[in-house]
Amino acid sequence: MHPLHRRTLQRLPASLALALVLFAPGFAAALELRELIRHVEQQYHGTSSHARTEMRVRTEHWQRSLEMEAWSLERDRFLVRILAPAKERGVATLKVDKEVWNYLPRVDRVIKVPPSMMGGAWMGSHITNDDLVKASHVDEDYTFTLLEESPEHYLIECLPKVNAAVVWGKIVYEILKPQLVPGTVTYFDEGMFAVREILFADVRTTGGRTLPMRMTVRPLDKPGEETVLQYQEITFDVPLTAAFFSLRTLKER
Amino acid sequence: MEFLHLAWKNLWRNRRRTLITLAAISLSVMLTQASHNLSFGVYAQMIDSGVRAGSGHLTVYRGDYARSRKEELSFDPGTLVEAIAAIDGVARVLPRVYLPALAQSSRESRGVLVTGVDPQAEAGINPFLKKIIAGEMIGSSDGRDALLGSRLLKELKISIGSKFVVTLQGPEGDLLSELLRVRGAVETGIKDLDGSLVMIGRQRAAAMAGIPGRVHELAVILQGRAEEERVRPLLDALLPPGGEVRVLSWEEAMPNLANAIKLDYASQRVIFIIIMLIVTIGVVNTLLMSVMERIREFGVILALGATPGRLRRMVLAEALVLGLVAMTLGTILGAALTWYLVEHGIDLRSLISESLEFGGVVFDPVMRAAWDLGYMLRIALYVLALSLLASLYPARKAARIAPAEAMRHV
Amino acid sequence: MLWRLALRNIWRNKRRTALTVSAMVVSSSLLILALGIFSGMLSDMLASATEQYFGHLVVSVTGYQDDRDFFDNFSPDPELLERIASNPGVRGISPRLRTFGLVSHGQSSNPGEILGVEPASERQVTRLQEKIVAGSYLADNPETGALIGRGLAERLGVNPGDELVFVTQAADGSIGNDLFTVRGIFSTGDSRHDNGLVLVGLSALQRLTVLPGRVHELAASLEDPMTAGATAEQLNRQLPEGLEATDWGQLLPEMQEAIAASDVSRLIIVSILYFATGLGILNTFFMSVMERTREFGILMALGMRPWRVRAMVLLETLAMGGVSLALGIALGLALSLYMATVGIDLSETITPITYAGGTIAPRLRVVMEAANFIVPSLLLLAVCLLAGFLPANRAAGLDPVAAIRED
Repeated sequence: MHPLHRRTLQRLPASLALALVLFAPGFAAALELRELIRHVEQQYHGTSSHARTEMRVRTEHWQRSLEMEAWSLERDRFLVRILAPAKERGVATLKVDKEVWNYLPRVDRVIKVPPSMMGGAWMGSHITNDDLVKASHVDEDYTFTLLEESPEHYLIECLPKVNAAVVWGKIVYEILKPQLVPGTVTYFDEGMFAVREILFADVRTTGGRTLPMRMTVRPLDKPGEETVLQYQEITFDVPLTAAFFSLRTLKER
Repeated sequence: MEFLHLAWKNLWRNRRRTLITLAAISLSVMLTQASHNLSFGVYAQMIDSGVRAGSGHLTVYRGDYARSRKEELSFDPGTLVEAIAAIDGVARVLPRVYLPALAQSSRESRGVLVTGVDPQAEAGINPFLKKIIAGEMIGSSDGRDALLGSRLLKELKISIGSKFVVTLQGPEGDLLSELLRVRGAVETGIKDLDGSLVMIGRQRAAAMAGIPGRVHELAVILQGRAEEERVRPLLDALLPPGGEVRVLSWEEAMPNLANAIKLDYASQRVIFIIIMLIVTIGVVNTLLMSVMERIREFGVILALGATPGRLRRMVLAEALVLGLVAMTLGTILGAALTWYLVEHGIDLRSLISESLEFGGVVFDPVMRAAWDLGYMLRIALYVLALSLLASLYPARKAARIAPAEAMRHV
Repeated sequence: MLWRLALRNIWRNKRRTALTVSAMVVSSSLLILALGIFSGMLSDMLASATEQYFGHLVVSVTGYQDDRDFFDNFSPDPELLERIASNPGVRGISPRLRTFGLVSHGQSSNPGEILGVEPASERQVTRLQEKIVAGSYLADNPETGALIGRGLAERLGVNPGDELVFVTQAADGSIGNDLFTVRGIFSTGDSRHDNGLVLVGLSALQRLTVLPGRVHELAASLEDPMTAGATAEQLNRQLPEGLEATDWGQLLPEMQEAIAASDVSRLIIVSILYFATGLGILNTFFMSVMERTREFGILMALGMRPWRVRAMVLLETLAMGGVSLALGIALGLALSLYMATVGIDLSETITPITYAGGTIAPRLRVVMEAANFIVPSLLLLAVCLLAGFLPANRAAGLDPVAAIRED
């Protein structure tokens, strides 16, 4: 992207900047689409963020609710800590680049998550450790085509680049107009069967951005199961340093 | 010579007894030889299979990789592959890379062992490649094609042509992921392997793990097991000095297989000792009885001037002839039975569903014998020796006969 | 009267009697020993798999053994336990809970299978207590003690006394985590267990996984493992809906096939043994009667009825055969007992072998089984009776003069 435009973009609210990008003449559509996806994937992070969330998980055998606090820096660092229920207060996850650690206050120990556990559920939800590690790089691994455009939404098809290490056959992003927030994101396997979908809702404007405050992850092969992540508050551009995302901070209660 | 002729005649005087004894000894010889040859053949089959699917007749490893299986113990083979292959007696050199990893599909994830091979080298040698049940073997050494264990394919809920992602830990502790595609599925019969095997090209495997060009193992397949002793020092000489990279024989690299065979063999040996003992008792008895019933006759012979020594030698001669005939007959029968078992073998398929695992190796459900002439000769000689041994007591008895008393015997 | 005659005949020719008897004593005792060794091998093979981990039989929720679904757990009420225990042949029952999670120590962590057991009960079903290489087995009240496989211990770098962190998903979805202390390290020779299995107390695991009072399976050991199939079938008729009994043959089909294959070679060798022994005995008894044809001829010439001759010989044979057999069994028993208690230890040259789902210790020993005494005894007795009777029968059928003239 043109360096001048980048600087301009950084000063403008993201969605407005994108609108400019989309409607400005002379830019390849694919580039805009990539930016759009990037924007959507980064909506909860930005350069840095701090949020309070509530996560409700329903599985075939149990349901539960967690209250959490999360910090993020760029695309590669974040820290999440459980606030409630009391039994799990202080349990925390730290991600730095592609490594993930968990802190368990009950035993006061830090565990590094080995590759063999990356396929496992994060905090018991339908989000996997792997999702945490890979999610922020969706825009790098796929090519984008506009499937459909209507007054209400854009439908963008993301096909994995030839040798990208992703399991999906296709991801379809529905991005709602005019706020340019995601509606439904559907994940397909190579046979083009829908395997998972994530629904975004409860769009609000906060901290200078407009974004959906609720995210629901549904595994389509397990009807009745879902994970709902509800943002209660979120602030952006918080003063955070890379040093904050350390094992020491992980262990604080 | 005249002695032996006499001995022969004496033996046949009591035809029934001689025949029964001959039958007992020669049949025992036959069965002992044939069942040993059967085991011999089956062991050879298993070793062959194990050597080809496993780590070769001789294997080159770094450090204690054979035991610890630590991925860090990889090494750069340099020109070793070509140099070893040039040794007379070496059939093939198979470089391999082994990486524990996580395989993920869109629906499931499983722990796997990514095995990097040289497809051209493995072709025709690795018996697993004959058990491909769907699709086909991978083609190149650096492609993204993979051959999966049949159970793994099912558990990941993917099929031939599907893609999947493997994630493993790099040398610096970071996570590395790679896209692969299923080219074929193999059913080795070993449950653990079928649930965890991901076979890809070794260059792809090494690159993926951040150790390009390196290997964990060089499996050396020889023309035959007999070459092992000669080739090993030649191979040793090619290795870089320092001892970090070393050569192991298959018994050292696959102790499970070697030990399973040893144990089986040890128990067989004990049983055969017992069989030989039983046969010996029978021979002692027979000879003793034959001496006892001829006491009167012996008494007469002694009275007529023969020496006790001559009587003793007579009995020994009878034992010798008996032993010779029994061992010859037994060996002929043993050879015949062995021939049958070599050509046709024993088909276990009626008892066993699919394949059978023993000591970590899958073996052929048709048990085939192999010729161990050395053993057959040894058994024949043991039998001869035992016959002679068995005759010592009866011969002594014969020599001790007091003629006058003997003649009065009924 | 015939008896006395028979016994006198036996005594009369001491040498002949001694010969005949000794041949049979030695052969039959060796045969018994050989059969015992085979029983020992079979028993070892079976034990290697079942006594390390699986048990002979398990009772679990229907389908659990196929996919080990964590949520297929049940609450074993005392009535159920009693019902199972009341089955004849059931030796011990061990309730177990199983989960998969992360085992961690310091900077290293590894996935592992965590099995919660009651040590006192578990000891009756499996024999891990005999495979301890460091520390000791779990105490009867294990609290937070853990028993870990050697490969896993090496990877994590732990020794008895060190701590382990277990992390697993609990039944209520929360992250179960707890500290355990290594009490002992075991080595079975089977890498699946040595590199991935951890044993802890049942209640500790129930707390960790939030499954109070629940188990995944009741593992049982039987007096005779070969009856497992039949016992499982019987249990299946008694168990409530939703639970099923699975025997080791179904849990370890490879072991069952390995036993089938070894049965083939065993059959071959046992046949050789019976053959060699039988022929030997046939020879001796046959000959010892055959050479008395003349004697029988004289007896008949003196007025003894042919049937009495036959009967007398039969009694003699019976007496000698019986005594030989008795002595043979005694000697066989002595040899077998030695091999059963001491055995031949091959661990100098051979290390434990993993094979068809189990691991075998390298030694030769005997397992005492009544069949190994009864069957050969009966068979050999039959052989010697036949061997004695046939020539007597023949002699009795001869014209006395012809019999006398026989040499």
